[in-house]
Amino acid sequence: MTPPTPATIDIEIGTDGAATLPPLTPEDAVRSVDRFRVHRARNRGRRWYLLWLLVGPGILAMLGENDGPSMISYATSGATFGLGFFLPFILVTFAMAIVCQEMCMRVGAVTHRGYGQLVLERFGRLWGWFSAGDLILTNVVTLIAEFVAIRVGLAYFHIGAGIAAVLGVTLVAFTLSGGRYWRWERIALGLAAFNALFLVAALLVKPHWGSVGHALVTFSPFPGGSFNTLLLLIASTIGATVTPWMIFFQQSASADKGLTPNDLKHGRADTIGGGALAAVFGCGALIAGAALFRHGGSSIQGLAGAGFPAALAHISGKVAATVFALGLIEAGAVAVLTISASTGYAVGECIGVSHSLNNSPRAAVPFYAANVGAALVAATIILIPGVPLLSIALNANVLATVLLPVALVFMIMLANDQELMGDWVNGRWINRAAIAIVAFISVAGAAYAVDSFLQTAHLI
Amino acid sequence: MTAQERQELIAYLESDQLVVERRRPVPRAQLGRWSSAGLWALRISGVAISAMVIYTFVAQLA
Repeated sequence: MTPPTPATIDIEIGTDGAATLPPLTPEDAVRSVDRFRVHRARNRGRRWYLLWLLVGPGILAMLGENDGPSMISYATSGATFGLGFFLPFILVTFAMAIVCQEMCMRVGAVTHRGYGQLVLERFGRLWGWFSAGDLILTNVVTLIAEFVAIRVGLAYFHIGAGIAAVLGVTLVAFTLSGGRYWRWERIALGLAAFNALFLVAALLVKPHWGSVGHALVTFSPFPGGSFNTLLLLIASTIGATVTPWMIFFQQSASADKGLTPNDLKHGRADTIGGGALAAVFGCGALIAGAALFRHGGSSIQGLAGAGFPAALAHISGKVAATVFALGLIEAGAVAVLTISASTGYAVGECIGVSHSLNNSPRAAVPFYAANVGAALVAATIILIPGVPLLSIALNANVLATVLLPVALVFMIMLANDQELMGDWVNGRWINRAAIAIVAFISVAGAAYAVDSFLQTAHLI
Repeated sequence: MTAQERQELIAYLESDQLVVERRRPVPRAQLGRWSSAGLWALRISGVAISAMVIYTFVAQLA
């Protein structure tokens, strides 16, 4: 059978009289076309093509989280403390992300439902709306930070905030216009490939590779200086790799893509591969930032607008600075797409309306409106003059860190739910790792929040 | 689209993958007293810590 095009299906559905068959919506028909290609590739033994068809949600969640505030956070860690503890710490946090995201992919593939929908139906509307509320709050703040990153990158090329806002919102609207998950995913993946620019930037600053190797093996030198800044950067680095939107996004995207339990092996490869790429590119941002370490890097907070690229231009030359600026634009742009999508999924799932990129905008108005609306709100805020850009970027990550434990606990409960997951429940070691991750993230987020609060309120 | 083509399209999807099935709610889980208490404790602490982060951020702006 030749796979029919979605346009043909849209016109012809409902005109035949096959009353015994279950109702087939346009969304089903589009997803079926994608599944047909997967079946054919699997039956013909085309392994690499099958992998190409099935990757997406994992890579996008991981590279989407290598977003503007994350890369700024990594570069700030490098500029403030140099190579050392934070370089291997990035690898540790991505290992944590892989454990969490594999659960999301598995639950999405087995249940064919998004995280918000499952929490709402399984644990009640209150918990469902709490989860969605947390997500919308952190997503709007994070989206502001994404537009900040695009603005910082464009500012290096003397392009203003207005263009950054328009470009970001236009990109979201353009990618959503096709009414197909596959199209949206491939555009986002194409853009995400440019996250490798941070690796190029790292090579261009000509780091001392012996120091890089020493840091990776020994987690040293351990950072000195302000304890509160250290806590901020630890919390911020965690928030740069594991966040609530990733949980919503990967589970919903896996279900929307149509993954099934037969695809779990490829889903794991997608998640682990995405995590490995993101870790390498994240380390690249830190290494590039570390070039500023001995040149007043700790004062980067005081630099306005195009701080990092401009500072890099003085130390490592214009090419490195240009690559870093382009990387920031890419990081912000991809994250605007994925975070907006996770907002749309959460809203659609919680209010119980169509929430699929395989539906046309006309058939899923609230889903698409939330998607574009979140980006619009964030774009508007960055146009306000005098907004503290770097502070917003770092605090967006911290907020994500402190709100993450609740989301992760629900994810662990879902992944252990025998009734939902059957044979695909968590194994003992994944549970141990996941619980240790929740405990670590809770302590790290709380430590920074309490220490900062007590200092700010002059209680210590 | 003929009935056969439609049947073939459905064949490429798992039965619980159809939109009509995905819209059917999963049964509600029964949370024990300790599980509920733990979730509420986590929830309240999350809100309190978030408030501290937001307060610190706003205070530093002033």
